[in-house]
Amino acid sequence: MTTLTPPGSPSASPGGSGRRLPWVLTLSAALLLGGCGQTTLEIEDEPGAETEGDGAAGPGAPGDGSPGEGGDGPQTPDEEDPHTPRPDFEPGPAVMPRLTESQYRNTLEAIFGEDLPETPVEADTNPYLFYTIGAATTQLSDRGVEQYADAAMAVAEAVFKDRARREALVGCAPERAGDACVQGFLASLGRRLWRRPLTDVELERWVGVSRDTADGDPWQGLETAVAGLLQSPWFLYRIELGEEDPSEPGQRRYTSWEMAQRLAFLFWNTGPDEELLEAAARGELTDDATIFEQSMRLSNDPRARVALQDFFTQYLDLGRLEKVERDPARYPGYSPSLLAAMEAEVRLLVDDIVYRRDGDVRRLFSDRRAFVNSELAALYGLDAPGATPIAFVPVEFGAEVPRAGLLTLGAFLTMNAHPTETSPTLRGKYIRERLFCQEVPAPPDDIDLNLEAEPGEPATLRERLEQHRRDPACAGCHSFIDPPGMLFEHYDSIGRYRDEVDGHPVDSSGDLDGAALENAEGLGALLGEEAKLTRCMVRQLYRHANGRLEEYGERIALRDLEASFEASGYRFRDLMLALALSEGFRTVAPQAEAPEDETTDENTEERP
Amino acid sequence: MTRKSKLTRRTFLRGCLAGSTVALALPPLEAMLTGNGAARAEDGTTDAPFFGVFYWANGLPWHGEHGGQQGGHPDLWTPAQTGAGYTPSELLQPLARHRVSVATGLQPHTEVPSAPPGQGDGHMRGFMVALTGDRPQPESFNHSSHTLTALRPSLDQYIARHPDFYASAPRFRSLEVGVSTARFHQYGHWNAISYNGPDSINLPILSPSALYDRLFAVPVDASESIRRSRLLDAVLEDARSLKTRLGSNDRLRLQAHLDHVRALQRRVETSAPQCADPGRPGDAGDLVERSRLMAQLLALAIDCGLTRVFSFMLTSPASTHVFSNLGVPDGMHKTCHDGHWERVRDITRYQMEAFAAFLDAFSVERPDGTTLLDRGCIVGLSEYGEGWKHSVREMPAVIAGGAGGNLNRMVHVREPGGNLSKVHVTALRAIGLDTPSFGWNGGDTIDHLTGILA
Repeated sequence: MTTLTPPGSPSASPGGSGRRLPWVLTLSAALLLGGCGQTTLEIEDEPGAETEGDGAAGPGAPGDGSPGEGGDGPQTPDEEDPHTPRPDFEPGPAVMPRLTESQYRNTLEAIFGEDLPETPVEADTNPYLFYTIGAATTQLSDRGVEQYADAAMAVAEAVFKDRARREALVGCAPERAGDACVQGFLASLGRRLWRRPLTDVELERWVGVSRDTADGDPWQGLETAVAGLLQSPWFLYRIELGEEDPSEPGQRRYTSWEMAQRLAFLFWNTGPDEELLEAAARGELTDDATIFEQSMRLSNDPRARVALQDFFTQYLDLGRLEKVERDPARYPGYSPSLLAAMEAEVRLLVDDIVYRRDGDVRRLFSDRRAFVNSELAALYGLDAPGATPIAFVPVEFGAEVPRAGLLTLGAFLTMNAHPTETSPTLRGKYIRERLFCQEVPAPPDDIDLNLEAEPGEPATLRERLEQHRRDPACAGCHSFIDPPGMLFEHYDSIGRYRDEVDGHPVDSSGDLDGAALENAEGLGALLGEEAKLTRCMVRQLYRHANGRLEEYGERIALRDLEASFEASGYRFRDLMLALALSEGFRTVAPQAEAPEDETTDENTEERP
Repeated sequence: MTRKSKLTRRTFLRGCLAGSTVALALPPLEAMLTGNGAARAEDGTTDAPFFGVFYWANGLPWHGEHGGQQGGHPDLWTPAQTGAGYTPSELLQPLARHRVSVATGLQPHTEVPSAPPGQGDGHMRGFMVALTGDRPQPESFNHSSHTLTALRPSLDQYIARHPDFYASAPRFRSLEVGVSTARFHQYGHWNAISYNGPDSINLPILSPSALYDRLFAVPVDASESIRRSRLLDAVLEDARSLKTRLGSNDRLRLQAHLDHVRALQRRVETSAPQCADPGRPGDAGDLVERSRLMAQLLALAIDCGLTRVFSFMLTSPASTHVFSNLGVPDGMHKTCHDGHWERVRDITRYQMEAFAAFLDAFSVERPDGTTLLDRGCIVGLSEYGEGWKHSVREMPAVIAGGAGGNLNRMVHVREPGGNLSKVHVTALRAIGLDTPSFGWNGGDTIDHLTGILA
């Protein structure tokens, strides 16, 4: 681990957070004025400010050919006047994410061990790419509650029907309902599941359940209580409301218990272990030294690896790969297992560069190393000794292999293509939106989207797209999206290299924001210097970690993280450590006053 | 999927049995729909109307009425005559045996806010208005990432929660079912057509066996029910101290969760109506076959009083389903965008065949000469008029069923430019719900489709 740049000291202004702007909405209004390529997620832009108001490159208006030029908006951090006073940090609002499915299963496995029945639970949803954001916004459905109940009953039954397993879990033998063994076990398990100690009232409540349902068998009572603890909102939701910060009157910070779970879910994607809970019990997870020490411990643990990969699969939008369909007759070598191999390949590359080598994360886009199984080796035309359908081996792309970095690997190329032809538009849109956090607006209504070649019309996709860009209604956006997407034309809809398409030689030339490039490898090299890439990555991690979009008042925390990321040589694990210490991860706005609505508590669902 | 809980132990055993020697002895699903196999609802609402939504993706093959550039192709949907006893068009032909009524020419009337941009998008505006009578929620709309949420409940949930619809709470207020697993995005609203309100969706059950498990797998012994109910009491008590500390949005989310816990508790405590067990179905078959299986289970559930509301998602909004069985190489969404009119025609005909197969389960004649469909109203909707340019003109609307005599069958009503929400008003009034108006933000109307509502 290399040096860690300390984040900026908390400097939030007291009170005065009446401005909880829905700034995504406000900035989208700016998008309408600014047109295509507006970096609407540029948090430096004042919400509501009319940026780029001339609309020169807007959809429906003739493009000036360089919408990307103006796309950064007038105030990127690089250009910002250094004499501008440092803005105050305003903490973002509390959210209450439900555990994602993987967090739910990881937590159960950490506590109860492997081989648990996997009954279905309500599917995650990933608005703005991240499951944590979906988990913090969606309501659980009627069936979802039923599924949690079924899952809890099944897990409790699996654990308690096995005599050895239940004794190992409980650690003592209950002799009668509600005895000391029962009480001690429920207190300790409750703390682990709920990620905080149970109050006396709560403990008595669950001891009462075990007593009432024992039916002469204290083990059965315990089984019921365990199934119940697993259905409590305190287990299923992450409750993080914060407390008054004694050193910063008027400010709220997350409590030690809340920080324990925030760190555990961030680094391990699971609930906190006993060591974190012990640190929380000592009240230590509000001070920098302990947070740093615990974060290092979590980061260096193998459990951090899968969590890191999970973040990258979301940030890279790999969930879309699962629904790709291709006709094997058209694409020899294609099979559903090839798609799974493509995802595994990205995970292994992330693991190698980000975790094992702890290197510059930008190398993801230019590294000539990859990990292939036999299917991928065949797709890439490589000799990969030792590779089988299930064994991935490291390979080094030689100079004769036209691949480097994950934009030349199967996953990106396949999920951003159609079943019958490639899509420079989808691939370019991915660069803009996923890698640069730029927004590409919708095509105008009622336009001709048909790019099929008609007799007597240009035959190649490039020519058809060029014709498309001559249409003023389309040019504004497509001259922004398509040119980087054209760089991948040597790779077909499953990522196989090709030199010609339908008898026409492939021309993969394109450009990125004015820099002319020959092909995808050129882009990969360029991305190694691209500030938009790393700035976007910081933003995506921030969203993932907080379970919500960033707020305008948090921009200084993001800027500090960007600076820290740069200082670390773009080591992603250092970025995560910096985030763990950041005010953007440790402080929270006070809850907005909720109206008292005790009347809704009952009667909403009549009882027989 | 291996299910081991006590809840489903009986199912599991039954599944084993069904897989071996007794499989043939189980009554075929269809035979059970004659009304003999099923007991009737305990509350005496045997004849009460039921309501369902049948949804298919990507509209219809385009034609001149969809807009200036879409000419050149014939209109295969709109029947030539209006009024009763119309002659079915080519695409409505599969549905003719169910004597469905159709409304043509309708479109959303909701206003489209200028910011954030993209709210006029045919898919997003179209399916929201078709399902909820309102536009998407502007505050959380983001076209670039295709993120959107409903402002209010979809029609099925509007009915399921209407104070006048259920005299007493049924076992399930509603069931959400679908068949195609293809999806445009992982985001919830692209995978479901049933919403309770903002950020609250009811994901469909996508396999017949899973629907069977939910409907017919119930706890066997009384002591198990008591244990489960007792722990749910404690869960509800846990939430009490939490609720008062939450902000308003999270409080709503928790409240919804607790409402569902109470509904579950009620299901745990009360014995299910004595429905005849149809046996656990398999999940094989194409979209048409699986639609038929799902419909048979839904019809059984309605017939024995488990519910009176459902939604059925044949294909999800903007579906990328590849209809390879029809020789279509691309996903449906792209096939539309690429302007493959003939392929879209073939797909639509196939989707209508699935709709017809679905309605078959509700059209099994009973000894007294009636069918389940006679007492229900099943509304067929899609997301826009056509998928090539996303025009929301000429949206399809099918109204199947007699609703106990409140609906005229086999009627074609044509109103070019008319308000799509008239379909919703018609359905609501047909099932006996007093409905002064339906629709919001410019989409409201006080009118039903005269001619279809009796």
